[in-house]
Amino acid sequence: MKLYKKEGNILQVLSFPNETVEKGDYLHVEDSEARKALIAQVIDVQFASVPGVLEELLRSLPDGGELVQGEDFDPLEIAPHITYIQDASLLVCKIRATIENENLNPTSSWLPSRSQSTIKKLPIPQLLKLAKTEGTLPIIIGGTKDSSLLTIDASHLDGRLNIITGKKETGKSHLSKLLMLNLVGYKATVVVFDLNGEYICLGMTGDGRRNTHHDKIHVLTPGQNFKTELKQVNLHVLLGILIHALHLPGTSAREFRRIWQSLKERDKLTLHELGEAIRLWNCNQHVKDALSSRYHALINSGFFTDNASEATALEDSLLKAKENGGALVINLRNTSAIDRQVVVEYLLGRLVEQLTSGKLKATFLFAEEAHLYLRETYWDDIVTRMRHFGIFTTFITNQPDTVKENIYRQADNIFLFNFTNEHDLEVVSRAARVDAETVKSIARDLPPHHCLVLGKVVKDFPMVVKVKAMDVKTMGETRLFFKNTN
Amino acid sequence: MIEQYTIATTPKYNFPQPTIDTTLPQRLIEQSISSLRYAQEQHFQLNQQGFQQTCSMDLHAETFQLRMQPIRLRQINEETPIAACDTSTIKIGETSTGILIAVRGANVSKKHRSYKYNRFGPFIFHITEENKKELYEALERAYFVSASRQGHQYAVNLLQNPTRIASLLERWLQTTMSKIVNEGIILFDGSLTAGTIDTPVDRLKRILVNARECKNIVFAFSKMTNLRIGGRLITDLALQQKAPYLLETTGLKPKPPIVLLGDVYVARLSHENFAFRLDIDKENAHERIIEALGKLMGNDVLSQGYPETLRLAHILCTFTANEVIAMQHFVARSCGLHIINRPDMHRLLFGPFGRGESCS
Repeated sequence: MKLYKKEGNILQVLSFPNETVEKGDYLHVEDSEARKALIAQVIDVQFASVPGVLEELLRSLPDGGELVQGEDFDPLEIAPHITYIQDASLLVCKIRATIENENLNPTSSWLPSRSQSTIKKLPIPQLLKLAKTEGTLPIIIGGTKDSSLLTIDASHLDGRLNIITGKKETGKSHLSKLLMLNLVGYKATVVVFDLNGEYICLGMTGDGRRNTHHDKIHVLTPGQNFKTELKQVNLHVLLGILIHALHLPGTSAREFRRIWQSLKERDKLTLHELGEAIRLWNCNQHVKDALSSRYHALINSGFFTDNASEATALEDSLLKAKENGGALVINLRNTSAIDRQVVVEYLLGRLVEQLTSGKLKATFLFAEEAHLYLRETYWDDIVTRMRHFGIFTTFITNQPDTVKENIYRQADNIFLFNFTNEHDLEVVSRAARVDAETVKSIARDLPPHHCLVLGKVVKDFPMVVKVKAMDVKTMGETRLFFKNTN
Repeated sequence: MIEQYTIATTPKYNFPQPTIDTTLPQRLIEQSISSLRYAQEQHFQLNQQGFQQTCSMDLHAETFQLRMQPIRLRQINEETPIAACDTSTIKIGETSTGILIAVRGANVSKKHRSYKYNRFGPFIFHITEENKKELYEALERAYFVSASRQGHQYAVNLLQNPTRIASLLERWLQTTMSKIVNEGIILFDGSLTAGTIDTPVDRLKRILVNARECKNIVFAFSKMTNLRIGGRLITDLALQQKAPYLLETTGLKPKPPIVLLGDVYVARLSHENFAFRLDIDKENAHERIIEALGKLMGNDVLSQGYPETLRLAHILCTFTANEVIAMQHFVARSCGLHIINRPDMHRLLFGPFGRGESCS
């Protein structure tokens, strides 16, 4: 390989056919005289602009598009040299760092010697060693192209905002399960908003037996084993539900606050008493109707109960998770859109309460397709305010434009699967931790189950990894009509 | 870009097989390898420069005339083999003692509406003042029994040697074709001028005799000509008539030792405004010439009035920039040459006003 050009932080390297370099690979460009080296990542592989190639191609196809038949008497065997030159490729690389005195420096301000520099492929394990990504809480994500393992440290997910995105059936949920189970393994508390019931069997192996995580997976299904009493709910949480999920107007909300305080003073915060109070409350009939309809919506959700024994699951699960680590899988599979919002508003409110009161240390929140249940104002809340309380979110989506732009800008880690749509790539490329060229060029060519890891977990050295398989029962498969036909 | 036509390929072809007359390529290889030995471990200055074959001849201009009465041509669709050959040479670099050149030749035939080619080379030579005589003599002796006897010819400039070697290869290709093609039309690039330093009269005569013996007819197309009447190029005088036609010249008498073995015509074979000098073997009857040209029109594509078979021969032997780089790569690897980048003195001295050595 030969150094050809450097423009800004883009390096162009000439590579010959016997040197196999692909997109995503790292190169070590060493200038021994300067005692420095550049670390650059290949973001595109193009044909080298060899003069005369067009004439060569035209000459080989002059007979109306068919090859002219003939024989070449080439005694000096120049033809392989011609092919060698013709097939030379140009590697477009992004400079990631400079190595000087064995220290990594994110700079590209110096120019290595074009004639004297030696260029070789940098194996991923060597790069990870240089980048010092190893820690005490390793999570093996999968294998890299050079057959080494990519290991990240769980502490680099701690306190961070993460995004897992890619088009359908590329392996997003699989990676989120892998991260989640590893966090649980390190005794972390994890809450999952499981939209499709994909996470409910994480405690089982592929053949249906209990696995090591079985006792740490707590599946909570709203209306079934996940209910709450009114007195467990904070007024502002319930008002949040009424206003944001059930669209209660402001005037009615004020009346509801008075009803709530009246019942609380009398220690009668039950569903039955609330219904009675609304019915007998002396107020405008329109307000009364509005309150009454929301009350019945709460009743119909099945999420609220007056039976204290039915409303202990959340506290019990959080307690268990706090002690030994565990995942609370909130199964939203058969929950209506409004009820989903009610549950999510309630749960986030409760988590904040638990975290502020010190009952919980911190929680890793995994939110699948969050736009389907997270209200508009909650996005900023989650990445700013709730992070300070100790809720560290991982968004998982196949529609990157549903995640707000400022979320991408603030994301600490992005696990990017294949996208072919320009618009989707454009949205993801707004992430602050990576340049748009890398995202657009590499993500487009990622095969299924391969992921481009960006951010703090890889010390800002984007890496392509094939996510490793897990022996857990998967529930995310699409139910097919023609499944048994072939 | 060259306009091409959809033509199916043919599985059978009657052109030189490796078993026939391979003496010259064999000698070319030997001389090529032998000459490259002199280049080992030297410094090597890259450059690309084609050698333009120039053919200027002194003639008695006062009698030279162009008959403006056109000889009308009619397309004849009778199946006739068409064959053509061409060679090319290029300088690929310089060493401290000489130059490195490459030579390649190609012959192309068209039969049953499809083209087939045989390409010879590239042969790479390291030519120095010391080996230029030996190299050329060895090649000439290898095939042409009637080797030139003029001792003065070795006084030629080093830079003229590449075109001489290419010319030798071209005459060999022409000889081979003239023996192998039967009842066909053989197309040469250039003229049928003999008696020059590269083309002894006997050599070209022998080729034409061979061709006649196999009932072939030779047409030599010149892309450029210096022949003028009243100060105007003969090819510019011939564009007023409705194509296709032939204009005959008379009174063309070159000064000795130059000899014309063909009659010189101006041919406009298609409706496009391009006319070419066409040399046709003198020994052919007028009717046969007209018939053969008709068969050429009926059997080959004549885009811009130039035969496609000859055009392909030219295209196939021409060196592309990519090939030149590959040959430089080859000699650097095989001979251990150290590539140096000597500054272009024109650029160095005159900056943006320097046109570069190759253009000087």
